[in-house]
Formats: sequence, structure tokens, C-alpha cells
Amino acid sequence: MAIKLDPRTKLVITLGITSLAIFYDNPVKLLILLLCAAGLLPVFGVDFKRLACSIKPYLFLLLILFVVQVVFTPGGDTLLAWGPLRLAGTRGLVLGSTVVLRLLIVIAAGILLTTSNSRDFISGLVQWKIPYEIAFMVSVTIRFLPVFKDECVNVVTAVQLRGVEFKRVEWGKKIDLFRCLFMPLVYGALIKAQELSIAMETRGFKAYPRRTYLRQLSLKTADYISMTAVLTMVLLLMGLEISLV
Amino acid sequence: MLQWKKQKGAYSRDDSLYSEKDGSVYLELNHISFSYPGCSKPALTDINLSFRQEGITAVIGPNGCGKTTLTKVMCGILRPGSGEVRLQGQCLKEFRLAQVGRRIGYVFQNPGQQLFCSTVEEEIGFGLTNRGEEPALVKEKVDFYLNYFELSPHRKAFPLHLSYGEKQRVAIAAVLAGEPGFLILDEPTVGLDNFRKSLLLKILRKVAELARGVVFVSHDAGFIDQAAERVITLENGQVQCDSMRR
Repeated sequence: MAIKLDPRTKLVITLGITSLAIFYDNPVKLLILLLCAAGLLPVFGVDFKRLACSIKPYLFLLLILFVVQVVFTPGGDTLLAWGPLRLAGTRGLVLGSTVVLRLLIVIAAGILLTTSNSRDFISGLVQWKIPYEIAFMVSVTIRFLPVFKDECVNVVTAVQLRGVEFKRVEWGKKIDLFRCLFMPLVYGALIKAQELSIAMETRGFKAYPRRTYLRQLSLKTADYISMTAVLTMVLLLMGLEISLV
Repeated sequence: MLQWKKQKGAYSRDDSLYSEKDGSVYLELNHISFSYPGCSKPALTDINLSFRQEGITAVIGPNGCGKTTLTKVMCGILRPGSGEVRLQGQCLKEFRLAQVGRRIGYVFQNPGQQLFCSTVEEEIGFGLTNRGEEPALVKEKVDFYLNYFELSPHRKAFPLHLSYGEKQRVAIAAVLAGEPGFLILDEPTVGLDNFRKSLLLKILRKVAELARGVVFVSHDAGFIDQAAERVITLENGQVQCDSMRR
């Protein structure tokens, strides 16, 4: 049975986890944090399959980041060399692992935000006195991320269906191909923004200075306990990290 | 002529009648089922269909009955949950999407989804250029399709700036220029006026005459009557009827 918390509580938990991920520099601590973040997801009804699906599209990017860090970071003992050329060092390995783990933590924590709907997020943020325009922009961003992802997939599919194999295209032509991939995405995003603004205007966005809400969110005991526990733990861990340095 | 008989609530291919001409089957769907992630109701259930490189087939049915899903499964954009799609006798899983694209031309329901070049002429010639065709041949084909679909005035226009109907024509022209062995069009008549519909009909007939099968999804009764030789009716993700008209 998944626990139901206020979207603001989830935001605080996500911010807490991502702050620690940025704060920590040690791969072991980051790995523990990742396991904690991943372990937290089933509590909110997110299974590991969904986590794996969310991470899968970024695996290639993570691998490239890791390899770049390992190869190009100087310092530390040499682990792998090809003649005089150093291919991997201990410092690079640590930095590469740190970057990858940090990103995995951000993705895992981000999934937590998807367990509440965007309307509740707006409502919660506005009740925290955040201007409605900013709260709305945040919710629109969250709302359109999957659409943007779908459009990326569509363009790549359309290019492939014209008989073009990305892997077999020469490097010189690849740049031109990437222009083909990005142009409809950027243009599509601009068109969508324009159409959305017109639709909002026609539905009376900001017609009145004060907005009222049918549904009011209220923080419950579980929310206060969760927020206090997360904030206390994050501050304690950060304090401990500073005192150890 | 294909012969079909009803089995277990859905129409299935009669293998005994079909086996004689099995060699000429271009695209074959065997017991295809498909469900979208997170949906309990399957989009397609036990679909059995075969297509040869001839004639024009219409796929019809109410909204949400699985027409677009079926066409996407047919060209490998979606992988079926169970069953097998065979292209030229080989399992579709053995092909990369680009390899399928060279054999099957697919026109999306929303033309904006498949336009990605900076000019209309570049869009039409994109597939040919990237397959290494001679520039002179590419130009010749691009000119032909620009003229045929009356897109010459928009030759240098940005495809995504065009009207819906114009985008539709560019998308169709771009796919036809690749001269695929089989053509699938998802709602090709949306946004086209009667004159452009007649042009589309003419070219689909021409494509079919060149021994290339054509499958299109449509709600346009008039166009279906004029174009389709075979009509497949879908309902709730199942083939309800598969009939030859001519």
C-alpha cells in the first residue's frame, strides 16, 4: 500500500535528497544515498521496473560521462595505460562514479515528483505563497516533459523510417542529421508555447488578480513528521560532512 | 482472391486455402496482440492478416479501435506483445527500423511528426540523399513530386510553416519519393481538398499498379469507396471483417 503525502512534502524530500547528492563527493556515500532514494520509491507506489525504465534512456549518456571522466581526469594512480598513453586513473574512476551516481540519484528523486498530479503541485506551491505564474510554469514544464520525450522518439523514428541508419552515417553527415533531429523539436516547442499562451488567454488566464481554488490542500501529521525528519537528517548529515572535512 | 473464415470470434486466415500463394505474401501478421503500457485493455487482440504487394487496402473502424496501432505494429514502430510480424518471409524483429523503412513507406497520422528538414525540397529528397542516390536522380524525383503535389511554389519553404494540408502533401511526397515496396498511410486524406484527394487517389492507384501494396487508414467513406479493393474493419482491437470489394 503506497503512502499518500502532500506534493509539497514530496518536493521537500526530493530537494533534500538532491541537495545531499550535490553535497557529497564520495562515491560510497552517494551509492548509499542512491540505495536510500531507490528504497524510498516503493513506499510511494513506484516499483523498480518503472525506475529502471526511467533510467534506461540515460544509460548511454551516463556511460559516456563516465568514460570521459575516467579518461580525461588527471591525477591518482594509473590503472590502465596503452604505451605512454594513460587511459584510466584512480582519480578519474572516483570522479566518473561520482558524476554517474549523482545523476542516478537526481533521476530517482525526480520520479518521486511524478507521483502527484500537476494540479496538486500548483495548488500546493500557491498555498506556500509562490506566485501562481511561477507555479503554473513549473507545472507546465512537468506536464510537457513526456510530450517532448515522445516528440524526440517520433522524429528519430521518422528519420529511420526514411531508411537512414544513424550508426552507418559518416561523421561529417551526422552533424547535418542532428540538425534534422533538433530543429523540429525546438520549433515544435516554440509553436506549442505560442499555442498554449493563446489557449490560456482565451480561457481568461489572469483575467482577475486573485484566484480562488475549489480544492485546498492541507498538510497532515504524516507530512509534518516526514518534512521534519528529512530536513533534520539532511542538516545533520551535511553538518557531519563539514565537521569531518 | 483471399478467402477468410470466422474462427473463435475473429476472422483468421484459412491456411489451407492460402498456402498455395504463400510465397507472394509481403507482410504477414500472425496472432498479433498488443497492449500499451499501463492499459489493462489490449489495443490489438489476435490479429491475423496478410498483405501482398498488390492492391489498395483500407483499414476502417471507430476511433480508438486500434487502426493506428495496427499500422505501427505492421512497420515495426511498435513491437507486438505476442505474435509475429513477418516481412518478406522474415521475422520483423530481424530488421532494423531503417531497413524496414526502405521496404515500407509510412505516412504518420500527424504530418508534422515526420517533417524535419529545413526546406520542402530537402524533405522530399532526404531519404534518397541519405541512401546515397545520385544527386541528378534525387533532383529529378524531387521535381516530379513537387510538381505532382503542386508544391513547387513552396520548394524553399520551411515545411513546418506550411498549412496542415500542405504538410500532409509534403509528408506523402517524401515517403513516395523513396519508392518503398509497400506503403502504409495513416489518415492520408485529412486536410486535403477534393482535388488533392483525387491526386492522391491517382498516385495510390499508380503505386498499386507498380506491384506495390498500399494500406491506408481512413474515415473518409467517399475515398474508401473509390480507392479500396479490400476493406479491413477493426473493432475493439479485433478484425471484425475482411472483405474484397473488387
